[in-house]
Amino acid sequence: MSAEEKTLVDRCRQGEDDAWRELVDRFGQKVYSVAYHFTLNREDAEELSQEIFLKTFENLHRYDGSFPLVAWLLSISRNLCIDRYRRKKREKSFRFVSDDAVAPLLKSTDDPAAEALKKERTKLLFSAIAEIPEDLAEILVLRDLDGLAYDEIGKMLELPDGTVKSRLFRARAEVARRIRERHERRGSAGAFQTLALAAGGVL
Amino acid sequence: MSCGELERLFLAGASPEAVRRHAGGCATCARLNADLESTAEMSAGLVLPPLAASLRKSLLEIPRRTVSCDGAERLLPFAVEGEIGADDERRLASHLSRCAACAEAAETLLGSRDLAQPIAPPWLAARLTAARPAKERGLWAWILDPKAVIAVAYAAALLVMLLGFNPADLARRVRSGQIGENTRAAVTVAESSLTDRVGALQEKIARTFAIWKGRAGGYGRAAVSNAMMFLWKSSTTKERGGERSRNRDGRGAFKGTEMTNTSWRA
Repeated sequence: MSAEEKTLVDRCRQGEDDAWRELVDRFGQKVYSVAYHFTLNREDAEELSQEIFLKTFENLHRYDGSFPLVAWLLSISRNLCIDRYRRKKREKSFRFVSDDAVAPLLKSTDDPAAEALKKERTKLLFSAIAEIPEDLAEILVLRDLDGLAYDEIGKMLELPDGTVKSRLFRARAEVARRIRERHERRGSAGAFQTLALAAGGVL
Repeated sequence: MSCGELERLFLAGASPEAVRRHAGGCATCARLNADLESTAEMSAGLVLPPLAASLRKSLLEIPRRTVSCDGAERLLPFAVEGEIGADDERRLASHLSRCAACAEAAETLLGSRDLAQPIAPPWLAARLTAARPAKERGLWAWILDPKAVIAVAYAAALLVMLLGFNPADLARRVRSGQIGENTRAAVTVAESSLTDRVGALQEKIARTFAIWKGRAGGYGRAAVSNAMMFLWKSSTTKERGGERSRNRDGRGAFKGTEMTNTSWRA
């Protein structure tokens, strides 16, 4: 896999438009997805994606094929994502996630009530993620929202798989606990369970 | 708080059934597991945000908007020379705005154009003029140059000295057969030629000497003969008592004798 990706990168370095198009089509969606999950804003995510691909193109000579291209592609631009994520957290925009921010993440449905419920649950999820430590939130987003494999996350963050899994478990537990506590603070004891059950019915 | 077994099972990659079995018998873990399953359902129901067509188009045009570090390395020399096209210059500037390493390299290279020119010292022009090479001379000028002729002569003499060349020794070696046949033949020819020339010269000298000797002998003998004749005639006149000597026919006598006789008579 890495050898084939190395060949693709070499073709891009030689100026082959087809190779660059293949690289964009193969990884563009994933990069945009990661950028969106870190920013929850379309304009920011697009700007971040462009920066990531610009850096990727300018640093193609650094890729040696020793690990997955997507992990390398995300690792060279990780600072951009983290910087943007920290800025968002300082602005506290994550604490008040808008409907528009989560709308692109939801499947369209004919049931407005179910759609509204899913929207609320998604906003709740992102608010909880914003509250947990950065190193945990990062892994949770990459694994549960972007679907990266453990080894890809490990290569991207330069962490062993065991550490990735351990942090992922702690991140999930933290997020789950905060969601439940938020419901409990609202005074609707058992509402979380009801919400979860209702969501399960929708899904 | 959980008992920690859920995390251990997760790290071990246990199946959901094994997790539920443990949660069924552990009150603390049961609550956490319920929360985890609810959260997992939340995230599992989400889709990836769609990549806009305009963004894809923009990403595809990146190679025309910037250059890689490799490309910057290739373009920088042209930029320094001012021989870079507008498109390449824009792409290079885009890259330099984001790449600190290439930007520093470019700043160093492009900055060299703005360095002040060093001022030449006043004596430099005169020295350079003096050091200018003379007009190019032809081959014959070099060959006929007296200095060159003298130098070649000295070099040849030095070479002969260094080689220990001795004509007498060479001739001796020819006679003793210590050198090759060809060399011996050449030396023999040269020797015979030299001998002929010397012999001819000796003969000419001897002939010339003989001629001059013969002439000198003739003049000498004539002088001696005249002297003897003079002496003999003088003595004969004294014996005749002043009698004039006459020729055989009695009509004349030698002038000198006559004068002498006259003076004697007086």
